[in-house]
Amino acid sequence: MASTRALARLATRRTTVPAVWTRSFASVEPASPSRSTIPESKTSTVKEPATEKDAKIKTFHVYRWNPDEPTSKPRMQSYTLDLNKTGPMMLDALIRIKNETDPTLTFRRSCREGICGSCAMNIDGVNTLACLCRIPTDTTKESRIYPLPHTYVVKDLVPDLTNFYKQYRSIKPYLQRDTPPPDGRENRQSKADRKKLDGLYECILCACCSTSCPSYWWNQEEYLGPAVLLQSYRWIADSRDERTAERKDALNNSMSLYRCHTIMNCSRTCPKGLNPGLAIAEIKKSMAFT
Amino acid sequence: MASIARPALLRQVCNAAPTRRMASTFAGSSLKHPSPLTRRPMQSAFATPGASRVAAFHASGRRPILPPLPQVVDGDVNKPAPIPEPSASHGSYHWTFERLISAGLIPLTIAPFAAGSLNPLMDASLCALIIVHSHIGFQSNIIDYFPEKRIPLIRKGSFWLLRIGTVLLGISMYSFETNDVGITEAIKRIWHA
Repeated sequence: MASTRALARLATRRTTVPAVWTRSFASVEPASPSRSTIPESKTSTVKEPATEKDAKIKTFHVYRWNPDEPTSKPRMQSYTLDLNKTGPMMLDALIRIKNETDPTLTFRRSCREGICGSCAMNIDGVNTLACLCRIPTDTTKESRIYPLPHTYVVKDLVPDLTNFYKQYRSIKPYLQRDTPPPDGRENRQSKADRKKLDGLYECILCACCSTSCPSYWWNQEEYLGPAVLLQSYRWIADSRDERTAERKDALNNSMSLYRCHTIMNCSRTCPKGLNPGLAIAEIKKSMAFT
Repeated sequence: MASIARPALLRQVCNAAPTRRMASTFAGSSLKHPSPLTRRPMQSAFATPGASRVAAFHASGRRPILPPLPQVVDGDVNKPAPIPEPSASHGSYHWTFERLISAGLIPLTIAPFAAGSLNPLMDASLCALIIVHSHIGFQSNIIDYFPEKRIPLIRKGSFWLLRIGTVLLGISMYSFETNDVGITEAIKRIWHA
């Protein structure tokens, strides 16, 4: 390397190119005696903070896979953190790992308060949002963090939700009306009708429930999964929507809705405390004799 | 020259970085190049903890059933997933029928033993419902575990196998009911034996 540098210098000196155009090289020699570096013998050493006596060291095993190395297998990487210096939630731990230990760790996060649904992952065997999941303070137990199960992985903890979003799009998640509102201003709804949407509109589409459903694991291509069906019911139950029959027709086949076998993993795992199982049961009930 | 060389350099750094970082997380502040002797056990500690356990558990090589294929996006990423043709006989009617049969089985199972009477008509209807119920159950299994896109022939074959089995079961149940004691009496005898 040094020889090429010297050659380059020689080359620039020989040519007739003006000195302004030529690239200069950084050099380690001090430019002038006034700006010379103070030798390390005259400075103090900045030491890494010593581990405290009451440090609560917890081990996190994190799923790692890098698409830049497609031949290498996914691996579990371990990180240790002092819980006294980490925030209470799993997302705090992940952010701290990324900031301080390993900047190559990849995960999605945005709002850090359970509103965006970006940080959905499988923590200690349960699909949940990392920002709503407390780190168990028991330091003898090690935490394991995986991406959402049975999804294609983009990198590390980032799952590919293309299919999930395509299915969400297929249920037409918007108000469909043919008649304009009677007073020409807005589509009004009674309080009782509005109440039907409680427990449905709060869904943030984090895909925790869908990816916890064994039926969705086996048939993700055709079965819509609890999250999308809950959204579908949100529009079926809406009193302002006028395409309820069409919406039900779209579900009336053996795959889209009826692959639900009431396993109820969806209701158990939902980080927002919603009940997709109930919503699916309501759809089935409303379609039973039609 | 520099621009060509850089990606390669970057990749080398990226490859080297994790191992050094791993060592640092484990061995505290040993940021200097660790000797090859100390490095080896550290890396082995990073091998997947479950791997050795799984290998010991399976006596033969692991053969996954229907391993996932590479991801294929059907059409455009922004296009909605296709909506299948509505068919109530596979959808809502099928489900309602199945629920009615399941619900009807409960009183039919309890009634003969609670009442203590042996009515051939009740026996016959119990048999019929059990046959239909098990047929629908197995049908559901086939739909779940034999995806039409991956293994259409196996799926078709298993459906025919199921139909043949159901017919055979029907014939055998009929002969058992007419020539022998009937299902309720048989269960009663086994129970008391």
